[in-house]
Amino acid sequence: MREFVYEVFARKDRGEPLTHIGYVDALDDETARVYAWKTYDEQNWFEMCVVRRSAIVPVNRTDGPFAANRRGTP
Amino acid sequence: MPQFTDEEIKAKVREGYVVESPEEMTDGYRKALVVQLTVQADTELMSAPAYWMAARHAPSANTQVSAHAIIQDELAHANIAYRLLEDLGESKEHLVYGRQPHEFKHPYGFDQPLENWAELVVANGFFDRAGITLLSDVYQNTSYGPLKRALVKVDMEETFHLRHGEVWMRRLAKAGGEARDMVQRAVDWMFPMTIEWFGLPDDLKRHSGQLEYRLKGLTNDELRQVWMQSTVPLCAQLGLEVPAHWDDEKQEFVLDYPFPCRYDAGVKHWLFQEGQITWDEVFERWKARGPMNEAYVESIQRSRGTVERWLDSRAAA
Repeated sequence: MREFVYEVFARKDRGEPLTHIGYVDALDDETARVYAWKTYDEQNWFEMCVVRRSAIVPVNRTDGPFAANRRGTP
Repeated sequence: MPQFTDEEIKAKVREGYVVESPEEMTDGYRKALVVQLTVQADTELMSAPAYWMAARHAPSANTQVSAHAIIQDELAHANIAYRLLEDLGESKEHLVYGRQPHEFKHPYGFDQPLENWAELVVANGFFDRAGITLLSDVYQNTSYGPLKRALVKVDMEETFHLRHGEVWMRRLAKAGGEARDMVQRAVDWMFPMTIEWFGLPDDLKRHSGQLEYRLKGLTNDELRQVWMQSTVPLCAQLGLEVPAHWDDEKQEFVLDYPFPCRYDAGVKHWLFQEGQITWDEVFERWKARGPMNEAYVESIQRSRGTVERWLDSRAAA
């Protein structure tokens, strides 16, 4: 089973910032939605979204989990 | 990106430096963090089958729901810790499905059967309190940023488990009679079990990478004291006996039994009368694992291969 890392972002309430709250491993976007909602259920989130880690483009860092997605030089 | 030597990274984290990515770590730092996270993940994971098998004894629909909500939390916490390990280059697949039962690093307490509702709620009250004690210390002190952030959720939920345990311990103890006796019997084996959980006393522990890399803040003995600060007064308030008391002169809790000592897992009984044993003997017992170790690991691993074969054969067709 090939799974992808998805970053999970959520917002507690209207007016609150969207914050990175964690990650899940999932087969595809649909399972990622389910896993994220079931895993990070410590709050009644106003909004939650998932982003495949490979889709995040780092702007200023050359290290860390998103470094592999960086194309070319700044 | 900064590259540190071992001495430099120890000095940096003492001053409050937060490590954000594996590239910044020295080999020693990474290894100490991997050990810490593996113990954390395995403990959360193995609590799930232990609680799951005990949840059958839940006395009502509501208590079934809360018992299973706790199990769901524990699995999510394990998943989060294994996910952090993947970012350090470890394989979750191997850690969860590729290891033999005795290779898991959870404490001996989660190799024991929980056989009635009283044992489940005392496990929530004692074991989850140990979990909070250890993890809040990590939360407050860890130099690894991703772990600190992940623990916000974990601490919030462990507090609910603990409350569940304490509310039910109170309810059963107050009922008196058989209910109270069942709680007392659970306390009798689980109190020393949790005391032992915190590991080697400080005077025998020569060196701790986890403290030097600031992956935790308190020593084993300090953590044991923190756990007793909540647990001993709680039990006194509920009229439950525990083999420990506050010592005014020493200004700390002291144990009323030889520590460490032998344990008869078959009858869940600590052999206080046989006197103190060495920690080597304790490590031997831990390494041999307890009565439910294989059954718990099997319940986690059992269906992995089968379902994977179904999916692979569909993909191949």
